[in-house]
Amino acid sequence: MSCLIVQSDKTLLLEVDHEQADDCRRAIAPFAELERAPEHIHTYRLTPLGLWNARAAGHDAEQVVDALVTYSRYPVPHALLVDVAETMDRYGRLRLLKHPVHGLVLESSDRPVLEEILRSKRIQPLVGARIDPDTVAVHPSERGQIKQALLKLGWPAEDLAGYVDGEAHPIELDEDGWALRPYQRQAVENFWHGGSGVVVLPCGAGKTLVGAGAMATAKATTLILVTNTVSARQWKSELVRRTSLTESEVGEYSGAKKEIRPVTIATYQVLTTKRKGVYPHLELFDSRDWGLIVYDEVHLLPAPVFKFTADLQARRRIGLTATLVREDGRESDVFSLIGPKRFDAPWKEIEAQGYIAPADCVEVRVDLTESERLAYATAESDEKYRFCSTTASKQRVTEALVRRHAGQQTLVIGQYIDQLDELGEHLGAPVIKGDTGNAQREKLFDAFRAGELSVLVVSKVANFSIDLPEATVAIQVSGTFGSRQEEAQRLGRVLRPKADGHEARFYSVVARDTVDQDFAAHRQRFLAEQGYAYRIVDASELLAGDEEPDEVG
Amino acid sequence: MTTEPAAERRAAPRTLADELRSRTDDALAALLRARPDLLSPVPGDLSQLATRAGARPSVLRALERLDRFALQAAEALAVAPDPSPYGELAALLPGGEEELPRALGLLRERALVWGGDDRLRLVRTARELLAPSASRPSPTGLGPSLAEATAGMSPGRLQEILTAAGLPTTHDPVSALESLASLFGDRERMDALLGQAPEEARAMLAKLMWGPPYGEVSEVPSPPVRWLLDRALLLPAAPRTVVLPREVALHLRGGRAHRRLEPLPPPVGPGRARTPAVADSAGAGQALAALAAVEELLELWSTDAGAPPVLRAGGLGVRDLKRTAVALDVSEPVAAFWIELAYAAGLLASDGEEGERYAPTPAYDAWLEEPPERRWTRLARAWLAATRLAGLVGGRDARSRTLGALGPGLDRGPAPELRRRTLGLLAAEPAGTAPEADAVAARLDWECPLRGGAELRGRIVRWTLTEAELLGVTGRGALTSYARPLLDGSAADPDTAGPEPETAGPDTAGPADTAASLLAPLLPEPLDHVLLQADLTAVAPGPLRRHLAETLNTLADVESKGGATVYRFTPESVRRALDAGHSAGDLHSFLAAHSRTPVPQPLAYLIDDVARRHGRLRVGAAGSYVRCDDDTLLAEIAADRRAASLGLRLLAPTVLAAQADPATLLERLRAMGYAPAAESAEGDVVVHRADALRTPPRTAPEPVPDGPPDPGAPLLAAAVRAIRSGDVAAGGAPPRPRRPVPAAPGGPPPRTPAADTLAVLRAAARRGTPVWIGHVDADGTAGQRVVEPVRVEGGLVTAYDHTAEEVRTYPLHRITGAADAGAPDGPAETAGRA
Repeated sequence: MSCLIVQSDKTLLLEVDHEQADDCRRAIAPFAELERAPEHIHTYRLTPLGLWNARAAGHDAEQVVDALVTYSRYPVPHALLVDVAETMDRYGRLRLLKHPVHGLVLESSDRPVLEEILRSKRIQPLVGARIDPDTVAVHPSERGQIKQALLKLGWPAEDLAGYVDGEAHPIELDEDGWALRPYQRQAVENFWHGGSGVVVLPCGAGKTLVGAGAMATAKATTLILVTNTVSARQWKSELVRRTSLTESEVGEYSGAKKEIRPVTIATYQVLTTKRKGVYPHLELFDSRDWGLIVYDEVHLLPAPVFKFTADLQARRRIGLTATLVREDGRESDVFSLIGPKRFDAPWKEIEAQGYIAPADCVEVRVDLTESERLAYATAESDEKYRFCSTTASKQRVTEALVRRHAGQQTLVIGQYIDQLDELGEHLGAPVIKGDTGNAQREKLFDAFRAGELSVLVVSKVANFSIDLPEATVAIQVSGTFGSRQEEAQRLGRVLRPKADGHEARFYSVVARDTVDQDFAAHRQRFLAEQGYAYRIVDASELLAGDEEPDEVG
Repeated sequence: MTTEPAAERRAAPRTLADELRSRTDDALAALLRARPDLLSPVPGDLSQLATRAGARPSVLRALERLDRFALQAAEALAVAPDPSPYGELAALLPGGEEELPRALGLLRERALVWGGDDRLRLVRTARELLAPSASRPSPTGLGPSLAEATAGMSPGRLQEILTAAGLPTTHDPVSALESLASLFGDRERMDALLGQAPEEARAMLAKLMWGPPYGEVSEVPSPPVRWLLDRALLLPAAPRTVVLPREVALHLRGGRAHRRLEPLPPPVGPGRARTPAVADSAGAGQALAALAAVEELLELWSTDAGAPPVLRAGGLGVRDLKRTAVALDVSEPVAAFWIELAYAAGLLASDGEEGERYAPTPAYDAWLEEPPERRWTRLARAWLAATRLAGLVGGRDARSRTLGALGPGLDRGPAPELRRRTLGLLAAEPAGTAPEADAVAARLDWECPLRGGAELRGRIVRWTLTEAELLGVTGRGALTSYARPLLDGSAADPDTAGPEPETAGPDTAGPADTAASLLAPLLPEPLDHVLLQADLTAVAPGPLRRHLAETLNTLADVESKGGATVYRFTPESVRRALDAGHSAGDLHSFLAAHSRTPVPQPLAYLIDDVARRHGRLRVGAAGSYVRCDDDTLLAEIAADRRAASLGLRLLAPTVLAAQADPATLLERLRAMGYAPAAESAEGDVVVHRADALRTPPRTAPEPVPDGPPDPGAPLLAAAVRAIRSGDVAAGGAPPRPRRPVPAAPGGPPPRTPAADTLAVLRAAARRGTPVWIGHVDADGTAGQRVVEPVRVEGGLVTAYDHTAEEVRTYPLHRITGAADAGAPDGPAETAGRA
């Protein structure tokens, strides 16, 4: 009996407790995307993008078929094998090359394919003269667009046109008292060999260091694109701490500051600001001869940035993310414009290596009072979610939970500002929200880090790339409906390694029998699929006798 | 190359009947087997047989079943003089010398060619069908002969032609034609003549040489055409049309009747070679998937919401096919295949009720109870014999109406034969080999070039290969070992499902039993456990035991299918299980019993959470209600014994619910002396539990092959005997030594109970021994006969009657008794043919 079951819907089921499971995982990881990783059976999925990723990494269809046939418990459906071979065969029929005379050219090893794509209306404006039957010139400025268009046509091009070196700048890792972890080193190496691409690492696994490692390898001026200002500051301090770069070499290009230095960190927001129909900050991309561009949180990359990125195809690009899943389904743009996946390590594996803390996930079901239930039942449908996620019952349970973990670094995370303000007031904790100034934000974060503050109430802004190393408890009172990547982010907050090896705890407070519960189920499914067994507990049970005596009426 | 030297030694046969008469019984049986249509009804004597063998439909049918080379030989004979010696025929088929004896043997066996090797004759109808005529060019591309093309030409014109061709004039047209023909047949003189032809004229001849032999010319022929016409190298066929005479074309072709002669079949292999084990395991996996697909389809159609309506013109609507395909998560052609397969196997049919719908038949329930390998052989056999082609669904018929699944117009007679031939080719390859579809199609083009038409044949071959793969008859393109026995059985073999006591022995196991026993060990053992996970899924890492699968299907939704099944628990699915009568406790213990791992806490919580709310609201079915403000009056009615049959229940002090319908309730209440008033029906809730739909019992559609079924050996032997004796009776042939006929034992005809009679007749039919029967004529006269039963079915006994020397059919109910008449080599006594 082998450990893999190949389903006709192109999912692969891997029995993890099987003795061959590790070998099998290694064999299928290059081409199959891990979709769910609950405790016993992991689900991988075969997708065209995954198969092309594998092709880009040098695997061929024979290897894929071999891996499937070798480990499969039951006969692999023939149609699926044929499909795998056919899909993989589509990658690399077209190649983008640098031609000594004609500049950028598209070359094909299969003339009919070239004929087919040249007939497409989407391709025609992007190409120039036909050089010979198998080669056509491509306008260098359209390198990104043509890759996007070709992928949409199902004939992904292999980009072998190379990169400009960019302006050299000495950058070294300052490995004093720390070192890149093996998987980080592997990620950097894979990226460098591939030229451009995406590194997928869980939150807390040190993606910033992978970025720094890539910069130290490139030794060139670098543009780093991050989600927001707090994150930009984080990157800056980390770079100054971990590399030979000094404060003055790293610039910030945000709403507040417009510095352009050998290493410049820009926010997505400033880049996508539009004035009078134009993007005034686009010049940033041309302001220096960048040798490397780093995209932090690729899964959040806003659409306009894809557009700019399309014009930057001659520069090396590295994308960093915790998940390739995009809520908007633009995974294919990430593939064609930033590059194929170059490194991937599932959460559990890195956790098993001891680099991220295990977390205990608990869903707390709160019974609404009768009057609340009646109010909920009569609420307008677009108000229902807001109502049930901000009920007084939930407030009470949240407060009790905070008290229960008194003395531990606790984050209370929510969506609705009123609710957060109220909670902050009741708990006597500061609230960080959209309109909190950056200075104030950092001050509070520093205080929290230092342990001067033990409870912090944060809104959505906390979701992205802040670093709260000592938080051991996170309590989610309301979420953005059912976003999966948000859940990953939130969990990431408390998954950072703790100094004392304390187990992290993640509470999700949910109103019973409401849409809140449905959304929670959706988010939790993601958690369970990531291998985090969670429990569901009734609030009354959890708090029974817990802190009753202390509770003030 | 005659197969029967004895025939030659006697006087050369004058007619086909003569020749048939000289054939051995085996040869006659072979003819009847190859052309079973000659058997229905059994011809009275050999003259009749010969006449029937020359009838146009029968000849067409026989030609359709010839392979390419035999057909080419027949075509060559059709353009050769009648009769032709062997040598002349061989000359028309250069390159085919080695294979010609085989082809000729086949043509003789099929009674298409007769006569000695010195005088080979093609049956006249075949000749008419194959020889070129003005309206239909020959498949050889040859035109009419000189004599045919010059028919009606003035003698003067003929003499002019002779002069132009450099021949002396003659006295009459007949000798003129002979003179011309001998010129055209003479290589050297003809070469010399053509050598003088203008360049353009030669180009024109080259163009017409391989056919079609007709060309258009202008009103006033150009000089080169003129030149050719003057020498009869071209002849006028119609106004402004000329034709190349056959003799000229043959000269140009160097005597070849065919541009491309194909004496040998093209090879099917080499295909991709895999080990037989790989093919078997892949096929078995697919076989299991096929069973699951059929079951899923029929379960889908088992519900009120799922059963699709029958279109007025018959068949399944396009939208319903689409919907089914989506539900099964397959493409529409594949969905159509499963639907047609289930239909062919008699598992689904129209229910024939008002608002006609398709639904599973009761046979489906029986099918479900069978072990998987049996279920599979049922499907595979139905598929092999089916004349309906699922591949046609979605296409258009001749009148450009869309062909729908289950609808009319999907039957194609040649389908079963071509399907078997396709699989037969696979079977002929080494085990585990997967030949290319194109090679298989090319081979069938050779084996039966006229069968089904080239286009349909090619499609049937490809459909067969695709469908065989879907069904698991092949695995990775190679025929599986377990499907092989199914091909050995005759297409007409009735299903061995009805076991007769004598045939149940292990050595007489039918092909289906063999196939099933070979398939069984390849199928995975059903599991009795699943893996439960915290993300609220259950994974069954293989096929599940039936009861487990059924309960899980209720308790969870299927998310992914294949070798394994992934189930997802949702509040809705748990609610469904509770609705189906399971309690939360049942579900907990069910999961605990069938999970190899501890039940995850969130799953247990989910069940409790749903159970907590389940049933708080109660919905019931009531036929009608009684409302009254007076509590006591209602209590009184509820307590009244006369109201017991109304099914009254006090729901609230002022409301009585009744199971009876409002009309009955009103009537009964009035009978009881009350004066109730009817209320509008609004608010009246009637809930019926939805039963799984079933049609009334239905038989599977009969395949409609375009020929009679393969007659069994006993029938053939009996028929030959009957024809032969008929022939003797008609005085067509000298009596041959008869088989000794057992005498009817003396005494009164046997009387036996019906069951015994049947048993005796059946046993005799199997052994081929004579029985003595007593029977009653249509006019009531009792009599007795010694007969050899051939077939006992449908209430009729088909038997060779020794007394009357013919095959006769007796209704079973007219047979008063039967007894063994002893071995046929018993005391010889000529049957009393007084």
